[in-house]
Amino acid sequence: MSQNQYIITFEEPILITGANGFIGSKVVETLIKYGFKRLKCFVRPSGDIFLNKINQKLNGNNIEIIIGNLLNWSDCERASKDVSLIFHLAAGIEKTFAGCFMDSVIATRNVLEVLKNNKNLKRFIHISSIVVYSWEEIATRNVVDETMSLEREPELRFEPYTYGKVKQEELVMEYCNKFNIPYVILRPGEVYGPGKRKISGRVGINSFGFFIHLGGNNQLPLTYIDNCAEAIVQAGIKKGIDGECFNIVDDNLPTCKEFLKMYKEKVNKFYSLYLPYKFFYYFCCFWEYYSTWSKGQLQPVFNKRRCIANWKKIFFSNKKIKEKLGWSPIIPTYEALSYYFKYMKESGE
Amino acid sequence: MLRIGIIGCGRIADQHVVEIKKIPDCELIGVCDKELLMAKQLAERFKIKYFFDDVYKFLETCNPNVVHITTPPQNHFQLGKICLDANCNIMFEKPLCLNSKEVNEIINIANKKGLKITVDHNAQFSFAMRKMRELIRSGILGGPPIHLESIWCYSYNDPGYTKAILGDKNHWVRGLPGKLLQNIISHGISKIAEFITTDCPKILAYGFISNFLKNYKENDIIDELRAIIYDEKSPTAYFTFSTQIGPPIHQFRIYGYKNSILIDDLHQTLIKITGNYRSYLNHFIPSIIDAKQYLINSINNIKRFVKRELYLEEGRKYLIESFYKSILEDTPLPISYREIILTSKIMDAIFEQLKFNENGMKNE
Repeated sequence: MSQNQYIITFEEPILITGANGFIGSKVVETLIKYGFKRLKCFVRPSGDIFLNKINQKLNGNNIEIIIGNLLNWSDCERASKDVSLIFHLAAGIEKTFAGCFMDSVIATRNVLEVLKNNKNLKRFIHISSIVVYSWEEIATRNVVDETMSLEREPELRFEPYTYGKVKQEELVMEYCNKFNIPYVILRPGEVYGPGKRKISGRVGINSFGFFIHLGGNNQLPLTYIDNCAEAIVQAGIKKGIDGECFNIVDDNLPTCKEFLKMYKEKVNKFYSLYLPYKFFYYFCCFWEYYSTWSKGQLQPVFNKRRCIANWKKIFFSNKKIKEKLGWSPIIPTYEALSYYFKYMKESGE
Repeated sequence: MLRIGIIGCGRIADQHVVEIKKIPDCELIGVCDKELLMAKQLAERFKIKYFFDDVYKFLETCNPNVVHITTPPQNHFQLGKICLDANCNIMFEKPLCLNSKEVNEIINIANKKGLKITVDHNAQFSFAMRKMRELIRSGILGGPPIHLESIWCYSYNDPGYTKAILGDKNHWVRGLPGKLLQNIISHGISKIAEFITTDCPKILAYGFISNFLKNYKENDIIDELRAIIYDEKSPTAYFTFSTQIGPPIHQFRIYGYKNSILIDDLHQTLIKITGNYRSYLNHFIPSIIDAKQYLINSINNIKRFVKRELYLEEGRKYLIESFYKSILEDTPLPISYREIILTSKIMDAIFEQLKFNENGMKNE
């Protein structure tokens, strides 16, 4: 693709927040492959192995690593000054609501506040997640698309990460619309690949000392890391998509059951117990009820909304991102899965 | 009905709100944080009427009887004075202030104004600790305690907290005189302070940086501490803080002339160390008695769970409830000012020695 189809030139500065994360480091790699020459990688001081990975990929490219904290105004100003594009991948992943909120929402607000005065900015690319949707609205066996509304009371799902991501996305829309900041929002599915060691919670959970398989024949909304990074970079540079939201999922998605079977065959065998959705749904309702009745003796970690969001039978579509952005997965799912399983096997999972 | 407010809407505030909501005859009326979005998120999640980013507006609008100050400790002294000036009783998140001088001043102001303060040493009020006090009152030790041992471990397994501190050279914990230790050890020190009878015990402290932190090239945070607290007129005590002992232990032992008691805070067990048997019986009988005690502890915990009396943070609820009762009915405070001041003094002395040792080592 020629450069005149892009909103920026290869010489313009690009900021990547969360550049030491699983997705962030791959986005940096992809931008380098595209030929972008002035990358500013914002990393937390605690950034460890991924930072090393970025360093290994520098190869003489003009990459600036900015070590700082987005909760700190001066760090935000230092990082965002005069950049033309921002890929905002930083988000809170800790266990508390306040912590996730701070690292997702306050950090994003700080970046956006600085951007209000940045006249060079061509686009703010916000990396959200499919967890933000209000899953109760969609009927079983229907297809999830970008028109679905966001979760209205995310705190009731009792997932601090989800809460932070929903509030973060609301803030991005509010700020960008209010201050005319051009933006694109991307909502990847379950991003996987070498470097990610966990099996998606949509397949099942390990909370009770053994693996409970909950996904059954549900479609697993996978996004291979390389495909995801490709979509993110394209959404950052292509013309004519400002203000759009895109889901990112791969083609030919396996079911949770198929994924688990392949995992057991190719990585390691372990015991798993399948629980049908209805059964687990009522278990979650009971748990939630007990939590309220006992005034929090058990925290409502299993609740109706979480159950619906993770394990209801729903299908996923990448129609919009294919049509509007022209993106398609560069690595087919069967090949991506084989890379992932190989990594998991070799890393001793 | 007490009107309650919270200043500081970070991680620990949630835990205060959850417990306040369980207590009858009080209403959480408003929250305040210098970052308005933080105050708003807390208010939204817990359906709290008012939220502010200005302390004076918060105090004026909400007019709270009690304020919980859950900000980083660097702000406690200043915010404490403002709240006392507005005639509010205060519950401080630990550590109460940066040093015993500030603690004394806050207590003096509160006394002058006829207000009350306390600090969130919630581990002092777990069921096992309350049971221990009952036993001591019944005379199980056979006199005053001879020796105390408090061990308090902290695990780096919480990636949020650990990464935040290790990754951020400007993190507020690093700004405390005792750094990581100051933010955590008051739980274990206050258990000792409760039974120390002198106001100025001698302290011998040794602190060092664990290999775990050294591997992260961390040279500023001391995360291992051993301390001896002693005085001729008082029980002696050992205090241990460790981030490396696994699994983490929160234990307190109190030794008496006749019998002793072991409290395991994490497992909520209380074991009486009693009896001495003749000859080989000493090898057979006590372990059976101990097994029985552990079993009874377990059964009691299950019973309390079924009766909805066993909560992970029940000590905090008991402490807050007792503090509110003390305000409403003018009964004694759940934690005496003497214990609060002594805890702070012991911590000051420990940090002073660690600083001296550190400087000494650097000079060498």
